[in-house]
Amino acid sequence: MPSTRTDPESQPIHVVIVEDDPGFRAALCQVVEAASDMRLAGTAGTRAEGLAMLQGPPVDVLLVDLGLPDGSGIDIIQAAALQWPSCSIMVSTNFGDETHVMRSIEAGAAGYLLKDSSPARMVEEIRSLASGGSPISPIIARQILARFRHDSADARAPAAAPASPLSAREKEVLDFITKGFTAHEIAGLMQVSHFTVRSFVRRIYSKLKVTSKAEAIYEARTLGLLDD
Amino acid sequence: MTYRPALANAVFVFSVALLIAVAIWYVEAGGNQPSKASMHLTQAEWQVTDAPGLSAPPPVMESKALPAAWRHVALPLALPPDTARQSGMNASPATGSNVRVTWIKLATPGPLIAAGPLAIYGVRIRTEGTIAVYANGQLVYRAQRQGPLWNSLFTPLWLVLDKRADDAPVSEILVRMEHAPPTRVALSSVWLGPAEALRGHYYLRQLLQREFPATLSAAFLTVGVFALFVWLKRRHDTDYLLFFNLAAVSFGGHLHYYVSLPITGGWFAWLTANALFWLIVVVHFFLCQLHGRALKGLTRAVTGITVLISVLTLPTVAILPVYPSPSVLVQVVYAIAVLMGAIVALVGGFCAWNRSREGWLVAAGVGICTLLGLSDWLQYANLIGPEGWFLGAYTNAVTFGTFGMLMYRRYVNAIGEVEQINASLAQRLQAREAELELSHQQLRKAELRQTISDERQRLMQDMHDGLGSSLISAIRSVEHGEISELKVSQILKGCLDDLKLTIDSMEPVEADLLLLLATLRFRLEPRLEGTGIALQWEVREVPTLPWLDPSSALHILRIVQESIANILHHTQASEIRVSTALAGAGVRVSIEDNGQGFDVEKTLGATAGRGLHNQRRRAQAIDSTVTWHSEARGTRFTLWLPLEREVQMPHPAQ
Repeated sequence: MPSTRTDPESQPIHVVIVEDDPGFRAALCQVVEAASDMRLAGTAGTRAEGLAMLQGPPVDVLLVDLGLPDGSGIDIIQAAALQWPSCSIMVSTNFGDETHVMRSIEAGAAGYLLKDSSPARMVEEIRSLASGGSPISPIIARQILARFRHDSADARAPAAAPASPLSAREKEVLDFITKGFTAHEIAGLMQVSHFTVRSFVRRIYSKLKVTSKAEAIYEARTLGLLDD
Repeated sequence: MTYRPALANAVFVFSVALLIAVAIWYVEAGGNQPSKASMHLTQAEWQVTDAPGLSAPPPVMESKALPAAWRHVALPLALPPDTARQSGMNASPATGSNVRVTWIKLATPGPLIAAGPLAIYGVRIRTEGTIAVYANGQLVYRAQRQGPLWNSLFTPLWLVLDKRADDAPVSEILVRMEHAPPTRVALSSVWLGPAEALRGHYYLRQLLQREFPATLSAAFLTVGVFALFVWLKRRHDTDYLLFFNLAAVSFGGHLHYYVSLPITGGWFAWLTANALFWLIVVVHFFLCQLHGRALKGLTRAVTGITVLISVLTLPTVAILPVYPSPSVLVQVVYAIAVLMGAIVALVGGFCAWNRSREGWLVAAGVGICTLLGLSDWLQYANLIGPEGWFLGAYTNAVTFGTFGMLMYRRYVNAIGEVEQINASLAQRLQAREAELELSHQQLRKAELRQTISDERQRLMQDMHDGLGSSLISAIRSVEHGEISELKVSQILKGCLDDLKLTIDSMEPVEADLLLLLATLRFRLEPRLEGTGIALQWEVREVPTLPWLDPSSALHILRIVQESIANILHHTQASEIRVSTALAGAGVRVSIEDNGQGFDVEKTLGATAGRGLHNQRRRAQAIDSTVTWHSEARGTRFTLWLPLEREVQMPHPAQ
């Protein structure tokens, strides 16, 4: 988990953008450069360029599009999660639909950005992500709840996998989300700051990543792809 | 029980060895080597005297008291009928008397030294009157005091001489046989010797001629009764009834081999004689059934002869004489039986040759029985000597064996068939399962096709009503240059919102209305940003709606979307309140604003009310209702959704 920035003025947020649509890339670059607390550390238009950039110094936020001309952005997310562990990965998406977002989170993403968001919203999302928060939609919340409920109900869950069940408060947050409450409203209901609510979401995402990894290992073992 | 070959073989060998040991012990029980210790008397002298009637044998009689008209003969002997009259050797009244007494004198070649009591053994004495045996002039044995017994012919002569006080060796044995003039009397050769030495002979004869066939006959009847009970349970299996019938008729027809009752004619004679014919008829019918040919002529002949003979020999009719009448006709009747058996066997065997192995087996059985019967007939006709065997006693055993083998074949085949049926049943079940799986797959495919088709139709309809018409009006406006860039951007954003909600409607909401509303809020929130409108989210837990599939989800999303869009576009509201509550048998979704109201009736009547009509139409599609309550201080829109819908979607979402 990236360290929470206490003084955004002194240390700008370094951002890398991997996006093949030149129009949207330009709009993003503009948004980042316009923000006083952000620095654009680089851009890439293809999967290959994006992977090459991972060899360089790590940045704070990596914005990745899933549909790249030479492959899936998922590969970049997975590689970045390994090579830039401190980096917050954000996937840019048209619809924020469950399939794309869940796959990205399982690969190591910490959040997503809707492409039709207003510039102000975009800056806010990048800033929130860099400070350790994560966005979530009601449908994603329901999916995650279902996923963990399924895991804990499943007696065959692999003993080797440290299935990290959600804490009561994490579950509470997800429940509120599925009922349509915003992070601010939930903060009020739970008497915490809305940053805390968003950092709960980040923690939930990381648990999902762990679970999905454990599941992958378990499945690979049962399929005989991995030695015990 | 598990099958262990070694154990099974051991049990088999033990059982067979036990039977053999018992048989050996039984035969040897009387001692062996009778020829060494005993005398075989094969030479005799005989004569016939007349008697006024049947009389009891005198207690003492020596050969010297009889006329000296002895004639030498070798044993076994079978005298032709009425020899006395033909020979004319004796001074007989010739016409007055109906009873002859045949005397046979056996001389012993020398004294016999024996420790134990002496015994006399012979295979058979055949006559219909009283039999008396004298040893040294003393009456030592009497039989057939009331005439012949049914089993006389099959019973060997066996008598043990008591130790007398004088202890004189047996020097003369005199046999006295009473009979009617036309009867052929017969005597087998006789053994004289220690009882211990001769008993083996006697037992073996007794066993093979009487006891063994009797046992088999009883066994046949027992199995027949078993078959009867099988038939009582399974009436359509007439084979079992036939088996019982065969057993019963056979038993009846062979009783005369074992019953030691005096022959008095009547019903028993009729039954036991005619049973032979019935047996042939039954077997003939069975054979026809096996080889499948009607053989009408033969069937008619066999049945006709049998009925005729059965009727004519009835004791009340008594046209034909009945065994053991000395009439020559009896022998003719038995000859007919033998002939009939032979024909049935030959024809049956010929017909069944390539058609039915079982038929052939039965025909062979009948053939063997006929041969056995023939030997009996030869015996009765005195064509073979009096030491022969009455093999007819074994026809029962052969019948039992034949039909037992048939039953055995059927039983083993039935077991095999059951096993085969079980195997094929499992196979068929498997095939059926595969078929079922295939049809199930096809059904699923068809269902999937239908679902896809429904879904396509739904999306087309939605695109046509919403996205499509919005884009077309935007294009037209842009082309006419009568629209600002901001307006175009707003229209396009609206289109994107429409699209997002369409996508959301396809996400799994698990019948959760709140999740659906939450999604809507999540989508619309960015549009509310900067409008200065506050959204009060006051939803309460409500029951899930089981009918909430993608199609109805989209209807609900569109209804609420339209309602919020109306507030944004047509009122100057500063606050929107969204709430949910349970209302009767449904759920109420309320959207209230504090903007200026509108005249609901008027708007619904005007073209501007198209949006309201769309909401109403969509609500009706999901059995729900929409209502507006508007006044100057604000409007309350209510969507009421039923908890249960009577008519489910034809293809509920999986």
